[in-house]
Amino acid sequence: MNGAYVSGLGMWTPGFRDVESWAADAPDAAITAPVADLLPVPLRRRVTPLTCMAADVATQAAREAGADLAATPIVLGSAYGEVATAVAMMSSFREAEGLPSPTRFHNSVHNTALAYLSIATGNRGFSTALAAGAATPAAALVEAWALLAERGGEVLLVFVDEPPPAPFAPANPYPAAAAALHLAFTPGPTTKALLSGLRRAAAAPCTPLVGGLHHHPCAGAFALVAAIARRARGAVSLGPFDAGGWEIHVEPAGDA
Amino acid sequence: MRDHPSQRAYPLTAYAAGNCLGRTTDEIVRALSAGASALRPCPLQLPFDTACGVFPGVLEPLPLSLAAYDSRLSRIALAVLDGLAGAVDRAIRRWGRDRVGVVVGTSTGGILESERAERAHAESGVLPPTFNFDRQHAFHGILEVIRLRTGAGGPACVISTACSSSGKVLGSARRMMAAGLADAVIAGGVDSLCHTTLRGFASLQALSTRACRPFSAERDGTSIGEGGAFLLLERGGDAAVRLLGVGESSDAHHMSHPHPEGLGARLAMEEALRQAGLEPGAVDHVNAHGTGTPASDVAEAKAIAAVVGTRTPVTSTKGYSGHLLGAAGATEAVFAALSIEHAFVPESLGAAPVDPLITVDVCLRRRQGRLTAVLSNSLAFGGSNVSVLLGGTA
Repeated sequence: MNGAYVSGLGMWTPGFRDVESWAADAPDAAITAPVADLLPVPLRRRVTPLTCMAADVATQAAREAGADLAATPIVLGSAYGEVATAVAMMSSFREAEGLPSPTRFHNSVHNTALAYLSIATGNRGFSTALAAGAATPAAALVEAWALLAERGGEVLLVFVDEPPPAPFAPANPYPAAAAALHLAFTPGPTTKALLSGLRRAAAAPCTPLVGGLHHHPCAGAFALVAAIARRARGAVSLGPFDAGGWEIHVEPAGDA
Repeated sequence: MRDHPSQRAYPLTAYAAGNCLGRTTDEIVRALSAGASALRPCPLQLPFDTACGVFPGVLEPLPLSLAAYDSRLSRIALAVLDGLAGAVDRAIRRWGRDRVGVVVGTSTGGILESERAERAHAESGVLPPTFNFDRQHAFHGILEVIRLRTGAGGPACVISTACSSSGKVLGSARRMMAAGLADAVIAGGVDSLCHTTLRGFASLQALSTRACRPFSAERDGTSIGEGGAFLLLERGGDAAVRLLGVGESSDAHHMSHPHPEGLGARLAMEEALRQAGLEPGAVDHVNAHGTGTPASDVAEAKAIAAVVGTRTPVTSTKGYSGHLLGAAGATEAVFAALSIEHAFVPESLGAAPVDPLITVDVCLRRRQGRLTAVLSNSLAFGGSNVSVLLGGTA
């Protein structure tokens, strides 16, 4: 496979509702919760903040690409998944008779967001949820790349992480944030860039990212979204940024 | 058609599993042949009675160089990986370390260590001094320790989709090789007993108090087990068993209940057969997900009947080992590989009397005979389904 065409992007982190506002560093203090309109109201009441972020960015990227979420394969990359829900359950284990709530338990799995997206859209096709720490963006791109090579068509990449809560909070704090990229085997009317040359690379520092996202485990994915949004050309480091990193080449559409 | 990347068959050049049935595949095949369950009362302090599959023997602490990654999970993983060490070393010499990938399934990673640390923090106000969340609990901790132990330096990730995790690793491994991103992949799964899953499944009223009895009219829930399994897939090589296809689908139905007709499971089995270019009639055994919960066994049996009919012998091995959750897919792929190599279908332990709503041919007595194609299903929370198709050498 020569490359993958990016035809839609999505982004959410507190203060930024979409890629445009984030790339322009134009924060809005009123943006405190993602828009999860994709999920029917009865589902929305039961889902987690992480799932709402995933639903928001998936909707943005699919809308821009004109993709049908009921038929698009999804690869979810998240280093820690539903870690806030999993840790919230633990206090109940300190009580001898303690059991978690059934909803909290089934919402604690790594594929929770995929499940709710699939239920909300009726998508019975392929989806997967993966993790690889700071290599999560590269690992998700490897999976998406292999899926496109095998099947052609399209794939929606969704990246989402929230910081682990106390007492497991990270040494370098970062905000909850999510991004999505719609990738296709062939170019379309909204194609923004061509990705190619996914490969191992020497360690390179992450460029500073708006919203303090350079400590986020999916920093490499945000760096890629930022490069595509500003129509940059060249190699983008996907992380890990300390050692053993990955990079991908970005070519803006229309420049090829 | 065979030359299309998605229809390539990859040899399983080595595989190993460890769980309550034994620490080696030799011990496991003896237990499966003998129809002997190894489920026993759960050793964790829980507010209810349940049977569990406990990894047998002493789990040695990790060597000093890997001590920061020490957890029950990593001890199980490395104990099982030892059974694969020679084959992995050969694969790394043959293909080069950066061409050997690692894909590992787990549902909860090393969460048992965080459960202990959280309790200590609540009592003393501080986390234990040696506790390291990223190395002992987070998914990248187990991934890193497996890469360090094996020396594999190719693409690596954890797949975590609850109980289908380590069936789906075989799909990711297969695609990674088909796309030319790796020439060999160590694919497997590992999970340990922990409060999160045991108390969680209890909250869903999904646990039996005794050894689970999948497909039985008298079934009343599942049993949880712990363990690990790893399979080495290579682009070429001699092997008695090959990976023919991996179907992955979603139910789009409910977070914790299966689609009542098993629609997602059916789609996964059909996709695995399509990838292999095989007709359903070629399947001569199904290792079912078969957890022993009332609704899911009926739904899965309907799906199996719809795909392969009602004459193919179906076994759930949960009555032997319990449900290994994120390790179930890889573990049962190993069970299926053992069935092919040793030419037998294990008894579906505890199934008699079979529920009259289940119309597939549940295997009530061990059957001897050559197997050419075996499906192994894993069906998960959130409606994540995988069906792995293994075949003997033609």
